[in-house]
Amino acid sequence: MTEIGLPPINYGAITPMLILFGASCVGVFVEAFVPKAQRHLVQLVLSLGAITAALVTVVWQADTRTVTAGGAIAIDGPTLFLQGAILVLGVVSILLIGERSLERGGPFVAQAAIVVGSDADRNQTVRQPGATDIYPLSLFALTGMLLFVAANDLLTMFIGLEVLSLPLYLMCALARRRRLLSQEAALKYFMLGAYASAFFLFGLALVYGFTAGTPSGSGDNGGGVDFATIAAAVRNSEVSPALLYAGIALIAVGLLFKAAAAPFHVWTPDVYQGAPTPVTGFMAACTKVAAFGALLRVLHVAFGGASWAYTPVLGAVAALTMLVGAVLAVTQTDIKRLLAYSSVANAGYLLVGALAVNKQGLASTMFYLVAYGFTVLAGFAVVTLVRDADGEATHLSRWAGLGRRSPLFAGVFTFILLAFAGIPVTSGFTSKFAVFGAASGAGHTWLVVVGVLSSMILAFPYLRVVVMMWLSEPGESTPSVLVPGGLTAAALTIGVAATLVLGVAPESLLDLTNRAAEFVP
Amino acid sequence: MTTAQTVLAAGGAVSTGEAVTFWILAPLALLGAIGMVWARNAVHSALWLVLTMLCLGVFYVLQAGPFIGMVQIIVYTGAIMMLFLFVLMLVGRDSSDSLIETLRGQRVAAVALGLGFAALIGTGLFRALEGTSAVGLDAANANGNVQGIAKLLFTKYVFAFEVTSALLITAAVGAMVLAHVERRKGERLSQVEQMKARFAPGNYPGPKPGPGVFATSSSVATPGRLPDGTLTDGVHSQILPTRELTSSEAAPKGTEK
Amino acid sequence: MSLSAWVPIVGLLVLGALFSLFSVAIAPIVGPKRYNRAKLEAYECGIEPTPQPIGGGRFPIKFYLTAMLFIIFDIEVIFLYPWAVSFNALGLFGFVEMLLFIGTVFIAYAYVWRRGGLDWD
Repeated sequence: MTEIGLPPINYGAITPMLILFGASCVGVFVEAFVPKAQRHLVQLVLSLGAITAALVTVVWQADTRTVTAGGAIAIDGPTLFLQGAILVLGVVSILLIGERSLERGGPFVAQAAIVVGSDADRNQTVRQPGATDIYPLSLFALTGMLLFVAANDLLTMFIGLEVLSLPLYLMCALARRRRLLSQEAALKYFMLGAYASAFFLFGLALVYGFTAGTPSGSGDNGGGVDFATIAAAVRNSEVSPALLYAGIALIAVGLLFKAAAAPFHVWTPDVYQGAPTPVTGFMAACTKVAAFGALLRVLHVAFGGASWAYTPVLGAVAALTMLVGAVLAVTQTDIKRLLAYSSVANAGYLLVGALAVNKQGLASTMFYLVAYGFTVLAGFAVVTLVRDADGEATHLSRWAGLGRRSPLFAGVFTFILLAFAGIPVTSGFTSKFAVFGAASGAGHTWLVVVGVLSSMILAFPYLRVVVMMWLSEPGESTPSVLVPGGLTAAALTIGVAATLVLGVAPESLLDLTNRAAEFVP
Repeated sequence: MTTAQTVLAAGGAVSTGEAVTFWILAPLALLGAIGMVWARNAVHSALWLVLTMLCLGVFYVLQAGPFIGMVQIIVYTGAIMMLFLFVLMLVGRDSSDSLIETLRGQRVAAVALGLGFAALIGTGLFRALEGTSAVGLDAANANGNVQGIAKLLFTKYVFAFEVTSALLITAAVGAMVLAHVERRKGERLSQVEQMKARFAPGNYPGPKPGPGVFATSSSVATPGRLPDGTLTDGVHSQILPTRELTSSEAAPKGTEK
Repeated sequence: MSLSAWVPIVGLLVLGALFSLFSVAIAPIVGPKRYNRAKLEAYECGIEPTPQPIGGGRFPIKFYLTAMLFIIFDIEVIFLYPWAVSFNALGLFGFVEMLLFIGTVFIAYAYVWRRGGLDWD
């Protein structure tokens, strides 16, 4: 019997994931053993502390370039940069999730199992503090995201995908107000997400078939699903490439679903609208970083040798995504749905950057992810503030005249919308400039043309909201803008400040992305 | 030569037994899949799916993956399909989907696209794999199938394996969050309180006598009697009222020997 | 003949199927037939059979929780099997890895137990 030994593991390099995984387990323990009254504070401190600690270790590992844990995990520039981005955006999201001063008990329901509309439900909606299970769930999701961008083979990537998705499905169902919408959103997200995961697995199997006969890391010629073997097979496999193309297509379906690219975007507006707003922000910022991080690694490292084959198809997907997002955003009447379609369009711009398979494309996409993440979190932070007696007032007609009633927050939101529209002095401009520059450098001029056109269409709904807020008289039904509690104020400040700084002085972050933009082979 | 090795099918050539089993079970698997989509009753759908899953389990065994074949049968057919049936019972056995289309032409489009996708993948795979022979099976199963899986699980995928526990925890938390209502103190009867209520006056603590326990004949029409001879309602189900037999009913019917 | 090891299992399956078919088929032929309403009533483990409501009767959600927990630990056990078979080859590190895995899944158990998910009332 041959001995099987543990593969060498660089524990330093995977510390961020271990910290978050450990903290989420401790979080579940807290849920089990700490009295109800103290859970919120304990969980909040635990989550923020764990994410900060993980962030510190990411910075500490900044120079690590290694493939570890038996080849399953690659720690390199893009991994560390994206992990850092996910963690920073994760801190901001946790601040939004932890806010309890806007509404008695916070934005989450106390017991999701109580039937909607029953007496017990009405009682818990106005009285009981929200469930704190949301914290370990978000930590689990963050663990999955960190693993997702670090995975160096398709199986580990799939586990990461599931670890990040499963908690998100649950978090969507926990809204305090409009619970039926929230549960419907969770169900839709879960059904379609499971379907997309199945596509990913199908593609994985086909790619594994394609690598047959290629020597893998473990010494035999049975192939494998790690990216080095796939890349070698793409270069010189004798198996018919039909397997490879079908595999890339199916894997791309799975990843583009999470990234909310058309035509796999149909879940986005319903889920963004139904989910509790802090969770929507979390999905729009962190999930997008994770999804594109994985997509970048797959496209660059594994299938980089076949970029001529997938670029036209994914280019068409990118163009479709930008146009669908922009055109449908024009017709929306709900601010959360508007931001959802804007997020779809932004997935298109990100895809334009990701399709430039070179260093510049990688760097600009990573920059765009960070810039967009901060702006969208700030946007959803403002949405949580505009309320009436029934919770958030998200219908656009209710926002008319908000500028007269609360000039400060209307001003902030105007700035955020201008950033989405890509006006200079905001991060939206620098990031769009960067990805379009990378795309034209890689010769995808037509994508840049479509991108600029769709940006012009997309500017219209943003400006309509701005005009509505400032040029209408406030009516009877105009809701009030609450003064944010400390946590939301902090999140909002961070988001707006980052949007401004990355618009005015983006050099240091651009430098960082350029230095990080190299995968380990 | 260990037992595990003899169990494994050879990598290259297809043996007669394998071919025969495949051609018997493949139509059955297909039948199960079609039946699942076709059946109007959700429980029938689930049982058709069990047929497909069982056939797939045997296929895995045929293809020299006995472990995954058994897991397919134990976890999928055994546990997950039973969860399916549980959920059907939660929703109600007779409840059926509304067949009214909210988007017109959706069903036709779904059938067309599904068939198109199947044809695309099917012909693509057939053309790609025609004449290709499988490689690597012997190497993968060199020390036995389960041992090979253990080797991969604890070397290359050891991190993925550990992280799988996160999925299991999330599933438990999710089941609790979405399906469990916590009772506060005072809402639940303690064991002592339950016992007191059981023996309180007006409640009969023992189990009810079964039908005909003290009856003189096995006929359901015979009323149940308590030991003191009085008639009791606590014998039959509520559908069957307590009544005395008429003399014609009590007369021998010729069925007793 | 590599598939020959499975022949006993197939034989057992066939025997089982034959036996059950035989039992079902023989009972109505040789058994006495004396029906009455009590015998024809549905048997529900001694509970009084109640008429089924429209919709077939819906089960309480508690069953779902139990089934879900069963699946979680079922999957955990599946992972134990290859580990147990290769225990000698894996040695100490495999033992530690497995303890870690079981320990983490145990957290789920502790959570469910403390939250009252195992109570039946």
